[in-house]
Amino acid sequence: MAFTRKPQTFSASINEVTIGTGDKAVTIGGANILPLYTFDAPAKNKVAVGAEITDTGVDRTLPGIASYYEGAETMAEIAKRASEMPGADFVALALNGADPNGDNRPVEECVEIAKQVADAIDVPLVITGARNVEKDTELFSKLAEALQGKNVLFVSAREENYKTVAASAVMAYGNKISAESAVDINLAKQLNVLLSQMGIKPESYVMNVGSAAAGYGYDYVASTLDRVKDAALSQNDVMLQMPIITPVSQESWAVKESIVTEDDYPEWGDRETRGIDMEVCTAAAVIAGGSDAVILRHPQSVATISGMIADLM
Amino acid sequence: MALKGLDIFKLTPKTNCKECGNPTCMAFAMKVAQGAVPIEKCPHMSAEALATLSEATAPPMKSLKVGTGDAEHTLGGETVLHRHEKTFVSENLFAVSVNAESADAVLPEMEKIDYERIGERMYVEAVNLEYTDKDSYVQLVQKAAGKGRVLILDVKDAEAAEAALEVCASEKPILNGATPDNYAAFVELAKKHGVVLGVGAPDIDSLHDTVAAIEGLGYKDLVLDVTGPTVKDTFANAVQVRRAALKDGDRTFGYPSIVDLKKLAEGDHYKQTALATLFVLKYGSIIIMENMSYAQALPLYGLRQNIFTDPQKPMKVAPGIYPLNGADENSVCATTVDFALTYFVVSGEMERSGVPVNLLISDAGGYSVLTAWAAGKFSAGSISKFIKDYEIEDKIKNRTLIIPGKAAVLKGELEERLPDWNIVVAPNEATNLVKFLKEL
Amino acid sequence: MGKFVVIGERIHCISPVIKKAMEEMNPEPIVKRAKEQVAAGATYIDVNIGPAEKNGPELMKWAVQTIQEACDNIPLALDTSNRAAIEAGISVYNRTNGKPIVNSADAGDRIENIDLAAANDAIVVALCSKAGVPSDNDERMVYCQEMLERGMEHGMEAEDMWFDPLFLVIKGMQDKQMDVLEFIGQLADMGLNSTGGLSNVSNGTPKHIRPILESATVAMAMNRGLTSAIMNPCDARLMETVKAADIIKNNFLYADSFLEL
Repeated sequence: MAFTRKPQTFSASINEVTIGTGDKAVTIGGANILPLYTFDAPAKNKVAVGAEITDTGVDRTLPGIASYYEGAETMAEIAKRASEMPGADFVALALNGADPNGDNRPVEECVEIAKQVADAIDVPLVITGARNVEKDTELFSKLAEALQGKNVLFVSAREENYKTVAASAVMAYGNKISAESAVDINLAKQLNVLLSQMGIKPESYVMNVGSAAAGYGYDYVASTLDRVKDAALSQNDVMLQMPIITPVSQESWAVKESIVTEDDYPEWGDRETRGIDMEVCTAAAVIAGGSDAVILRHPQSVATISGMIADLM
Repeated sequence: MALKGLDIFKLTPKTNCKECGNPTCMAFAMKVAQGAVPIEKCPHMSAEALATLSEATAPPMKSLKVGTGDAEHTLGGETVLHRHEKTFVSENLFAVSVNAESADAVLPEMEKIDYERIGERMYVEAVNLEYTDKDSYVQLVQKAAGKGRVLILDVKDAEAAEAALEVCASEKPILNGATPDNYAAFVELAKKHGVVLGVGAPDIDSLHDTVAAIEGLGYKDLVLDVTGPTVKDTFANAVQVRRAALKDGDRTFGYPSIVDLKKLAEGDHYKQTALATLFVLKYGSIIIMENMSYAQALPLYGLRQNIFTDPQKPMKVAPGIYPLNGADENSVCATTVDFALTYFVVSGEMERSGVPVNLLISDAGGYSVLTAWAAGKFSAGSISKFIKDYEIEDKIKNRTLIIPGKAAVLKGELEERLPDWNIVVAPNEATNLVKFLKEL
Repeated sequence: MGKFVVIGERIHCISPVIKKAMEEMNPEPIVKRAKEQVAAGATYIDVNIGPAEKNGPELMKWAVQTIQEACDNIPLALDTSNRAAIEAGISVYNRTNGKPIVNSADAGDRIENIDLAAANDAIVVALCSKAGVPSDNDERMVYCQEMLERGMEHGMEAEDMWFDPLFLVIKGMQDKQMDVLEFIGQLADMGLNSTGGLSNVSNGTPKHIRPILESATVAMAMNRGLTSAIMNPCDARLMETVKAADIIKNNFLYADSFLEL
């Protein structure tokens, strides 16, 4: 008996969202198939990969990162180098230094840095904030104004500040935002409802449904992604059809496997290799689950993951 | 193929006798199709009809045992495509691939990967033995045998396979060598030695035909090698095979799968990590890699453990004292719940601080702090009982106990129950622990 | 399981406004009611043109095109005893957002409407009756079976046959209500879809009582497995009940604003 192919395509599809401008603008979403199931139907757009840089400088303790960014000292130089990283589709500026519980870099300085970065690159720019609600509200508003016309994606608006962030970033200055819901699918949907009720168009926002490094409660992430795609495609739930962006780097490089030194754990071997494997594993997992864009730190991770995407799509 | 209501109806006597408890034969047939009632409820079915139906109502994916003793593992038996629909039941196995040339270098490296994570032994469960020539193959099998790993005989030459099986059949290996050209001989071998047979083919259509032919020969202890010429083909095969079995009722594909990443990405360590991830999530039952290092094992085994947990049952860490950052009897104590996610987040932040801490984990039912507290499983009573039962006061001299910020309400009662202790409340969020511990 | 399908009942030739609009082929009142129902959350709109013996095909074509053009190709249930009118309606029907529903067939004189639905790849509402109200659930089940076999013989998928248990009026047939619910449960056990005219249950009761009886009925029936109803989507209480029951049945993902969706 011959094998009968039963392609699983849906009448519903994921929204398309474009970031950046000009030739190098990137569009994500658009699929009417389950993630990476290109044997069912072609995927409309490729999963996008972003190279992460941060206002706190390059982590030169890792040889692979140090050598890639060698000679790049200013934020503009670092950004330019990141934008040329093989496999990277966009640059993601993480304003970690803005965190009030850390360096607490003033908003004006952050804006200045972001402008330097934006001017140095021709690929789309994604900006992740201080991960502090009050600071990000102000930060995103000021950044959105300064970067008007650049079609920047701000990650992320949360339940507490979505109104202000959406009003300034999207409505006033025409940029894009991501709504963050920390592995809570009902909140993910609710934020999308609230944004749409404000009049934000589907092509103007994406979701960050939350992540975890592999092994660290990733089961919840996997099932959240599965359920989001199921609702979006098979139930045609328009309030979950936003594309998904996942900042993989932050979680992957913060877990023990990526932090402890070889001196402390000799049998575990080289720390940089461990960090890359953790970043690659977590990224591959969220992409298999339906993330339409990922943010990665290490040039090797970017190369590997963009290679995997090219192989599959 | 699963039968539809109408197909089953055609097999019923169509007398509407109601003896099955349903008003009509059609109603009965529709319920059988739904799996709501067993076909045996009808006393008037012919033997032929019953045989047709029992075939159609068998589980959609075969469950198989490979290996023996501690190295025995169950493959397959899945009923859902996504874990939230119910749960995945059989963890994938990881294997490393060796040949006559590489075995001496790779096998000892493989054996170094052996550790425990949340109550589970993490190690390379299987070894794939690549065939190069007849003379060296038996030697290779002998080298890999007896190490407590499932052996996979990656050999398409029937004679060599026979010789290898003579050596290791008692370890219940997988004979992964049947192809559209040689399957008849390999079925005989597998039958003779009572081992699971791996079936491969150049493409998914010929794989289907070959499996059907093997089933026709009466052998059903099979795994399907879905490795194709490219990554894209292999992923397409793995998904389509599993989906056909579980969603579309195609029993010919209702078997566990093998993917060989060495064949797809030899020499590319990171690509193999990425692909192994993909196949942990999407339907690889055995994932063969060129090698396994700690750098790969740590994320991959952690991921696997997450994906194959039952969504209804939270992962728990065992109660006990967990000394972090070289903590000793003079280091402070901290306590939290046994919910694995909480444990990992809290212990991770504590390790990041570099401050030595004795982390005390008591049985809190696998709930998060607030839920456990609300359920009475993380209370002043349970914490003080743990300190008494585990003889903490004898083992540790320090009398500072840090409690979770979300359970700050327990402070007063703990001070009453543990009068010698200085109870300190930690911040609400684990991310603030580093700063808190450094300033303690 | 998919979301509960609400078929809006408010375009009905019994309504004087609609009757007049249909006589004059005046689109305005019809489009207005269609839009109200869509805005209130109807998935399908029922278009009841009555027997329309004189100009059935012409009228149904006009109604289908008028409503679909005005309402983004909302899917429709074509509700008339005039078979030629249904066929004419389907000939101009736009399937972008769903198949047409033939409303309705039964196990008696109208059984050929199943053939019609099968021939046109349409959904059919299959009334579990032959002549008048069935005396018990056994009788309903026999009709159900007859129609199911008929549909399958004509190549229909069972999921395109929406069985109507016949909701009965509470004021008069109070003792039969649990039978109807029981029968809905039997249909659900067989994996079959179901629908029915919900407003039947409250016929003859005071206006302010009607939504209460209908809400309770639909909640209880959804618990038994009812998958659709022909009802008034413009009644807030009724729609809230349907939406809440959909959430409880996990047919639709919860969000705090679910009632607004």
